[in-house]
Amino acid sequence: MRLELRGITKSFGSLVANHNVSLTVEPGEIHCLLGENGAGKSTLMNVLYGMLTPDSGEILIDGEPVTIRDPKDAVARGIGMVHQHFMLIPVFSVTENVILGDEPVRPWPFVDYRKAVTMITELSQRYNFDVDPHATIENLPIGTQQRVEILKALSHHADLLVLDEPTAVLTPQEADALIMILRSLKEMGKSIIFITHKLREVLEIADVITVLRLGEVVGSTTPAETNEEDLATMMVGRSVNLVVDKKPAAPGDVVLEVRDLLVEEDRGLTAVKSVSFDVHAGEILAIAGVQGNGQTELVEALTGLRGVTSGSVILKGYDGNLAGAAVRDILHAGIGHVPEDRQRHGLVLSLPVEDNLVLDQLSDPRYHGRFGRKLRAIRENARTQITDFDIRTQGPELEAGSLSGGNQQKVVIARELSRELRVLICSQPTRGLDVGSIEYMHRQIVANRDANVAVIIVSSELDEVLALGDRIAVMYDGKIQGIVPPTTSREDIGLMMAGAGNAATSEEQA
Amino acid sequence: MSTSVEIVTLENLRAVSRGRARAYGITTAIFGILEIVWMGQTHPGLNTTIEFGANSSTSMPELSGAWRVIVLAAALLLAGISAIATTQGRRFALPRSGTLAVRIIAIALALWPISLWLHVNVDGILRSWTVPVHVVGLVIGVLSLLAGGYLAWKRYDRGASATLYAALIAFLLTFLVWVARGSDVSGLHLQLTSLLALSVSAATCLMFGSLSGTICERSGVVNIAIEGQFMVGAMSAVMFASAFNGAGISKTFAVLLGGVFGALMGSLLAVMALRYKADQVIVGVVIVAFCSAITQFLSSQVLNFHQNLNQSEPLPVWAVPGLSKIPVLGPVLFDQNVLVFVAVLMVVAVNILLYRTRWGLRVRSVGEKPIASETVGVSVSRMRYGAVILGGFIAGIGGAAFTVGPGSSFSYGMTNGYGYIALAIMIFGRWRPYGALAASLLFGFTIAMSANLNIYLSQLVIPQQFISALPYIITIAAVAGLVGRIRPPAADGIPFSRE
Ligand SMILES: Nc1ncnc2c1ncn2[C@@H]1O[C@H](COP(=O)(O)OP(=O)(O)OP(=O)(O)O)[C@@H](O)[C@H]1O
Ligand SMILES: [Mg+2]
Repeated sequence: MRLELRGITKSFGSLVANHNVSLTVEPGEIHCLLGENGAGKSTLMNVLYGMLTPDSGEILIDGEPVTIRDPKDAVARGIGMVHQHFMLIPVFSVTENVILGDEPVRPWPFVDYRKAVTMITELSQRYNFDVDPHATIENLPIGTQQRVEILKALSHHADLLVLDEPTAVLTPQEADALIMILRSLKEMGKSIIFITHKLREVLEIADVITVLRLGEVVGSTTPAETNEEDLATMMVGRSVNLVVDKKPAAPGDVVLEVRDLLVEEDRGLTAVKSVSFDVHAGEILAIAGVQGNGQTELVEALTGLRGVTSGSVILKGYDGNLAGAAVRDILHAGIGHVPEDRQRHGLVLSLPVEDNLVLDQLSDPRYHGRFGRKLRAIRENARTQITDFDIRTQGPELEAGSLSGGNQQKVVIARELSRELRVLICSQPTRGLDVGSIEYMHRQIVANRDANVAVIIVSSELDEVLALGDRIAVMYDGKIQGIVPPTTSREDIGLMMAGAGNAATSEEQA
Repeated sequence: MSTSVEIVTLENLRAVSRGRARAYGITTAIFGILEIVWMGQTHPGLNTTIEFGANSSTSMPELSGAWRVIVLAAALLLAGISAIATTQGRRFALPRSGTLAVRIIAIALALWPISLWLHVNVDGILRSWTVPVHVVGLVIGVLSLLAGGYLAWKRYDRGASATLYAALIAFLLTFLVWVARGSDVSGLHLQLTSLLALSVSAATCLMFGSLSGTICERSGVVNIAIEGQFMVGAMSAVMFASAFNGAGISKTFAVLLGGVFGALMGSLLAVMALRYKADQVIVGVVIVAFCSAITQFLSSQVLNFHQNLNQSEPLPVWAVPGLSKIPVLGPVLFDQNVLVFVAVLMVVAVNILLYRTRWGLRVRSVGEKPIASETVGVSVSRMRYGAVILGGFIAGIGGAAFTVGPGSSFSYGMTNGYGYIALAIMIFGRWRPYGALAASLLFGFTIAMSANLNIYLSQLVIPQQFISALPYIITIAAVAGLVGRIRPPAADGIPFSRE
């Protein structure tokens, strides 16, 4: 399918999210769309998919002007889309989610679930996706949910596939697998629009790269003509430092002491199997590992979101065991948390940005006085944070849900860093952020470390782990395989992530 | 950390459901203890008895000994086949949609000879069989105690609610006897069969109402207007039926007309809630007020002067051949007003509709996460319109069940708040049709009981008002104990707009 967008303009109130954007996608082309957080990439795709109505502009498919009034029109025209935030129904099974909207019925009006399951099993085998068609979405890890989303788009036999940051939540292996799939789809003559913030992926897969900034196209290029630095500069409008600079850590005393922690996951199986480690003030402990090896449960246990079967978490200066303590106590003890799923655990999407920025400090005397909430102080705080963290929003009173994905992430991080912390726990802190913001976040995290905060980073990005960590703990199958210095080679860490023990280099082992 | 708003996570839910199993078990056990204590206190001279008799007088021809053996053998054979068919359905690779029908046929086939045999052999004995109540009470008490203790200990989630419901019914029964304990009534008979039969018929309107609520809320629209849909359904049906003077077919039409008026109120709700995105609860309340006003006006201005427009004969009672002969349960389940059967069939049909058909899948998706449905080309408002109008139709039929069903005339206020109880039942039944059926029967039972108690009012030691309030008290207790523990459809009551 040949797609042409001509002069698309879309504004939200006074904010122009897309201004006169034109774009052409040839059949069998992989077209990468790049841009800062809030540049208008998702907005443009939502216009194409009929979720938003453009103020002006034209969409042409194979040279014919078409009107796409709602997603139904888009689906009928052969457009498929994987949305940045999952469009899956949590209580439905994988099968129900995939077939919804295009259900096999036989005899009418009964859904032919048997056929649907066969179809999904075949499809997931063909693309080497490992998903159980009977599993319920809400019980699946976020990476698997992403695969279901992709399956859903593939099952509709779209000629043009839009993927809005599909690799943000995938492990590097999964991302590689997805790239293979996209290649094979391309060979079948399908057109693909691919949005990502990972420049390496862009250079690997793109035929054409278009960069958006502040809602406008700033340029178009091909991987042959460019490199990561140039792309970053084009996106952000200034040169970006792609490597983290940080002084060597000056670790102080042990602040957090985790001993023999045992945590169950939702189905009652042990997910964290007797894990012990220490975190010192002024150091970053990075936890690496393929997603689903207990990191999520470990973080949830440390932050009070999940009960603990046994073991202890001792915070220096706090009386008693933090394992299984109430979340409020954990917060007051000075533990900050940037959760993995920002929309579910990090934000109240329907509340204004300013309230989201003080969610954990609602009863703090700074924001709550004798006569109720101090609205002026809250607004003031929001203004500062919005400038400091470069949160792109039209104002502090706007709903958090209207922010672009990356800007939502910035709100969470800004809030967590705005408190006096002793321990900072970040899960996937830069998920969905653009290179400029990643640079900023990394600097913030390092600054916190230098201010003597004990930092724990959980990331499935090996680059991030290697760049930030002062020590790297590798988790596999619920256990810590070993704790190694960041000078360890990628191969060795990769081996540990795959389960090979590495006792020789580990500093401490429970 | 945003924990102040993190309310329902999966792990919370799971912990809650285990905790619930324990709480249910403990409650059941407490019921058991109370029952044992009460029965110990029962005056030894009091000859309160439970009577199993039905008032049906039809008798079956006596069968000779050989025939009895043959009938029994056939019954056992069929029962065996049906048991295999129901439990092993999957292994026989029966089509999923066909399983239910196969089960029903198999069960009916098995029950028929059994009931025949039972009728021939034990009905006579049963009919005159009375049991001293304190024996039954003690047995039930001990059973409740054991079951509750076991549940609390093992914390099984499955079956926890069923155990609690059973214990609750037993508790109410014993309560009834205990209440009558101090009275001077001699020979107080609890006619079990008629009590249960009354429960089933009282549950009929509630089944329709709660089904209506279930369909609407599954699509994400709160239908508070069920009470109003009951009123217009009840009134229009009785007026139509009496105008055409009760010819058989006209009654069918009368019931359907009730449904149509209910659907009309449903459309009103749909337009206000979906097109104008008004607050669904407020619109619902306004619709009830509107229906209430219009039916009151019509009954005082029209029906008052044209009494002939407000009289209908009861719908025919339909006794299922064979099955209605099962002792005790036969008359309760298979010898009822036609609308009772319609209600039960409706439960089955709605269940199939919601869980087996394309429409149902889409409706449920729209009630959970409408934006996701929209992205795959499902029109949210179309699904919601359909669900709300269908819901109104079913509630309207429920309204007809107040008047045309038992053949009562319409009187203002006869719906008695049952439309709201139906919503509680919907919650109690966890937004599922079979749950609604079970919960309706439970509520029907409390209603029948309070009616039954009223018969002995003069001798009772507790105030009449308390007895009449019983169904409502149970409603509050049930819902208060459950809300927040079960998950409503995620988008329930939230208007949808794409941008
Ligand atoms: N429904 C809405 N109402 C108001 N403003 C909106 C709405 N949706 C998007 N915006 C604004 O439009 C701008 C572009 O958002 P968009 O989601 O397209 O960014 P993006 O390029 O996809 O960014 P990211 O990489 O962070 O996902 C942002 O400033 C966002 O706040
Ligand atoms: Mg986006």
